[in-house]
Amino acid sequence: MISEERRAEQQSALSEPPTGRLATPDVRDEFGLETIDMNMGPQHPAMHGLLRLILELDGETVVRCDPVMGYLHRCQEKIAENRMYPAVIPLTDRLDYFANMHNEHGYVLAVEDLLDVEIPPRAEYIRVLMCELMRLASHIPSIGFLMLELGAFTPILYAFRERERIQTIFEAVTGARMMFHYIRIGGVKADLPPDIPQKIWDYIEGLESRFKNDFVDLIQGNEIFISRTRGVGKMTPEKAVEMGLTGPPLRCTGVDFDLRRDYPYSIYPELEFDVITDTAGDVEASYRVRIAECLQSIRLIKQCLEKMPEGAVMGDLGRRLRPKEGDGFGRVESPRGEFAVHIVSDGSDTPYRVHYRDPSFCNMQLLQEVIPGHYLPDIMPIMGLVDPVSGGWDK
Amino acid sequence: MAFTMPEGTLEDRLKRYLDGFGSRHGLLESEIVGDAVRVVAAPGDVPAVLATAKEVLGIPHLSFITVVDRVGSFEITYALIDFRGARVNLKTTVEGDEPVIGTATAIYPTANWHEREAYDMFGVAFAGHPDLRRLYMWQDHFDHHPLLKSFEISTRRTFEGLR
Repeated sequence: MISEERRAEQQSALSEPPTGRLATPDVRDEFGLETIDMNMGPQHPAMHGLLRLILELDGETVVRCDPVMGYLHRCQEKIAENRMYPAVIPLTDRLDYFANMHNEHGYVLAVEDLLDVEIPPRAEYIRVLMCELMRLASHIPSIGFLMLELGAFTPILYAFRERERIQTIFEAVTGARMMFHYIRIGGVKADLPPDIPQKIWDYIEGLESRFKNDFVDLIQGNEIFISRTRGVGKMTPEKAVEMGLTGPPLRCTGVDFDLRRDYPYSIYPELEFDVITDTAGDVEASYRVRIAECLQSIRLIKQCLEKMPEGAVMGDLGRRLRPKEGDGFGRVESPRGEFAVHIVSDGSDTPYRVHYRDPSFCNMQLLQEVIPGHYLPDIMPIMGLVDPVSGGWDK
Repeated sequence: MAFTMPEGTLEDRLKRYLDGFGSRHGLLESEIVGDAVRVVAAPGDVPAVLATAKEVLGIPHLSFITVVDRVGSFEITYALIDFRGARVNLKTTVEGDEPVIGTATAIYPTANWHEREAYDMFGVAFAGHPDLRRLYMWQDHFDHHPLLKSFEISTRRTFEGLR
C-alpha cells in the first residue's frame, strides 16, 4: 500500500498545472534546444489497433499530438448503402469488435424506429442480457490492457480468462465467438438454449466472488499503478463535455450521463442500476468507473435472468422489409460511450444512407487536447482511459 | 463545477427549445416529434442556430453530423442531445456540387473531426474550420469522395435478381 507521505506528495504534485512541466521557449533558446517530431505507430506493440500519432517532443514532454487514422477504413457506410436492411447487421459486428452486440442493437433500434413492429418482451430481455455480458467482456479486458501498458502482465491473463468464459456463453447462444449476427430486426435470432440461463447465473456468481480479488485488490492499492495513473490525463467536466466525450471518459470527470437511464431504450427503465461517476477525471478514475460499471452489469444480468418472461423471440415482420421514408435514429450506451446510428430511408429495401457515430472515434479527440504537456510514457495510460477500438474509429 | 445539466421536465424543455429557436431565427420548419425537436434552417443560418442552442438554450452535446447526398444537393443533419432525454435534430440543405457551409467548431469543438469526416467523404467544405484535412483517405493523389452517390462500387448488389 502507498504510504501517507507519498500520497501527500502526489497530491501536491497534482495541484500544479501540467503545463508547468514544459520547458519554456526561453530555456529552449538558451540551450539551443529544439523540439523533434516522432512517429508513434501505426504498428506499435502497445497501440490499440492501427493508429499513428505524430508527436512533437520537447525532451520527453509531448508538445503536439496529431492522430492519423484510416489504416483500417472499410467504408462500412458505403457498403451498407448497397445491402438490404437485414444484411447490414453482420457488418455492424465488424465496427467496434469489442462491443458487437451494442453495434447490432444500435443499428436494429434505428431500423425499428422506421417500422411498426412490436418486439416481444422476451427478445428485449435477451438483448439486454447479451449487451450487459458484452459490456463485461469489454470492460474487463480494457482494464487488463491498461495494466499491460503499465507493465503488469498478470491482469491481462485474468481478464482474458473472464472474456473467454463469456465468449463460450456467446458461442452456445449465438453460434459465434465474436461476429454474432444475433440481434435481428424485430427480435433476436433464436431463443436461449434451455441450460444457458443457469450457466450464465453460475458464471456471474463465480465472477462476483473472484472480481474483488482479481481486479480490485490486485490493482487498486498498487503504488506503481497509482503513480502512473493518478493525475494523468486530467480533465475538467466542462472540457470533457466540450470535447464531445461520452461513456467512462465523460463519467470519470463527474458528468452524470448514461444513455441507458437518460435516453431509455429497450427494457432498461424496468431494471435497477446506478450510473457510476467519479470526480477525479484522470486515468485512475476511469479505471474505478469501469470496475464499478462491471458490478452494475452483474446486477443487471441477474435481474434479467430473474425477470425474463416466456414467449416468442421474434416479432411479426413482413417478408420484405421496406421501412417508411424518413430518418431513423438508434442510440445505445456501448462500453465506450454513445453509439448512435442514423438511417435515412427512401422507402426501398436498401438504406439510402447509414451513419454510425462511434464512441471510440469521438472520444479519441481528447488525444490532441489532453496529451500535450504530458510525458511520452503517459500516452499509453491515456489511451487506456479512452480505450478506443480500431474497428470503431475507422468504420 | 461550472457545467450544469439542463433543468425542467422533458415537455418544458422541448417547448423551450422550440420557442427559443423560433423566436430568434427565421426557420423553414420546426416541430416536436416525440422526444425530439426537428428544426430545418437555411444553410446560412446554421452557425447562428447552433450558437443559440449552445449558448442560449444550454444544449451541451453535439452527437454527430450526418451528410446525405441527394444528387444535386446535400442534406446535413446536426444531432444534438441535452443529456437529459431531449434531442434536437437540425437539418439544412446545401445546393450545388461543391457545397460550402459555415463551421460549427467555434461553437461545438467536437465538430472538428465530424466535419473533417464529412469533408473527406462528401467534399462538403466547412468555411472557417481550423484544420480541414482529409480524415480517413490519403492526403495526396486521391481526388474522390467515396460516399457520393456518383462514386460507384465495383461489386454487384446482393440479391439483384430477387427484386
